Amino acid sequence: MTFFDQWITWLPQLSPGLTVSLSLTGLCLVFGMPFGLVLALMIEGKIVPLRIVALLFVEIGRGAPALVLLYLLYFGFPEGGIVLSAFTTAVISLSWTTGAYSSELFRAGLAAVPRGQREAATTSGLTGWPGFRYIILPQALRISTPPLASLAVTIFQTTSLAFVIAVPELMSKAYELGSYTFEYLGVFVLTSILYGAITVAALALVRLGERRLSRHL
Amino acid sequence: MHMELAKTRAESPPTVGAVEVVGLDKAYGKNMVLRDVNLEMPEGEVLSIIGPSGAGKSTFLRCLNYLEVPTAGTITIGNTTVDAGARPSRASLDHLRRVTGMVFQSFNLFPHLTVLENISLPQIKVLKRSRDEAHEISRNLLSRVGLDAKSGEHPSRLSGGQQQRIAIARALALSPKVMLFDEPTSALDPELGLEVLAVMRDLADEGMTMIVVTHEMNFARDVSDRVMVMADGGVLEVGPSDQIMTQPSHERTRKFLRAVLDR
Repeated sequence: MTFFDQWITWLPQLSPGLTVSLSLTGLCLVFGMPFGLVLALMIEGKIVPLRIVALLFVEIGRGAPALVLLYLLYFGFPEGGIVLSAFTTAVISLSWTTGAYSSELFRAGLAAVPRGQREAATTSGLTGWPGFRYIILPQALRISTPPLASLAVTIFQTTSLAFVIAVPELMSKAYELGSYTFEYLGVFVLTSILYGAITVAALALVRLGERRLSRHL
Repeated sequence: MHMELAKTRAESPPTVGAVEVVGLDKAYGKNMVLRDVNLEMPEGEVLSIIGPSGAGKSTFLRCLNYLEVPTAGTITIGNTTVDAGARPSRASLDHLRRVTGMVFQSFNLFPHLTVLENISLPQIKVLKRSRDEAHEISRNLLSRVGLDAKSGEHPSRLSGGQQQRIAIARALALSPKVMLFDEPTSALDPELGLEVLAVMRDLADEGMTMIVVTHEMNFARDVSDRVMVMADGGVLEVGPSDQIMTQPSHERTRKFLRAVLDR
């Protein structure tokens, strides 16, 4: 049996894991990114208690390694009487990580909108929420999108950590496959190719999108 | 340019007060950048503010719509009065900004919106005009500044002169009582500056009340009714354009004019 034949027989066994990894990534982005934007707004806002709460979330989310956060929630939730599946726990934990990191990127984007834009919005009567919603936010999002997309790719790779709390994602499927074929090296080479292919493809998309977004800036 | 729209200016001086500024001070900490600036303008007047850099010209202009917060003094525009000493309410500031239109040195068009959207968005969101109505008004304004063909473009595709004319149209769309210009041609090549000045001249001819911080001495002399000379955060003198430009009463003004006119 050649190298390739082997890989082709392994792929169907790994693909359910890949599906779990991708849906875990998708959910973390869907929940984590808006959470990050809300955190950024709370930090930039004038209400001190909200700012403190947001800073706490961000500093814990960035300060604790994603793996440690996973364990903390996985063992912490049941202590508090909350029983969640491993998958749900992973979604919450990694969304937190995503939110913490993305909030910094959102803040950088907001800060990068030229001051003249705020002044032009103000003098055009677009103060408060409308000015933010229609003038500042769209420009900030354009500036933040490339680093946010890179973060999304990093989060995809980080989902491999969910293996430690028994989420049946790609990494755990690979480990499983290794443990009954004893071909650990081959299995993990194939696994890394799968992670790599998706990462490279996603980053190529990011570059394409980056060019589109900077058209009018 | 667009002379068909230009009405001749009324011969007799208008009498309705448009702008009144009393005792305006502005300080950054202990550094006084504006000291007791007073100004009274009738409706329809065009005032140029000239003076060396660091004189406080732009700061004064930006105090009028509260982009800079003055430390003391009152500002009355139309029927809105704001007292810097009394922590003005958000509503009164909104109103002050509603009755003033601002044109910046760096245009500050919204880069993510098309030309038509730049002019229409404030009308739709602030004046609650319908989309169709706003677009129609925007198209009229665009033809007034000679740019009807550019309505679908994004600002980055336009020259500086075109961007500035659109910025003027955007400010006009909210029907301000007073237009404030902060060195509107300073970021432009002389040639592109001319097309902006032509639009401003038309606006003046139509009777718009205007305050223009400028280094364009020809504009100050030919278009404005009065010229205000500022230096070191205060007003040196105010007077009819001809008089200030030819027979200023202050030596400081003479020195400044010599320096800019001899270039």
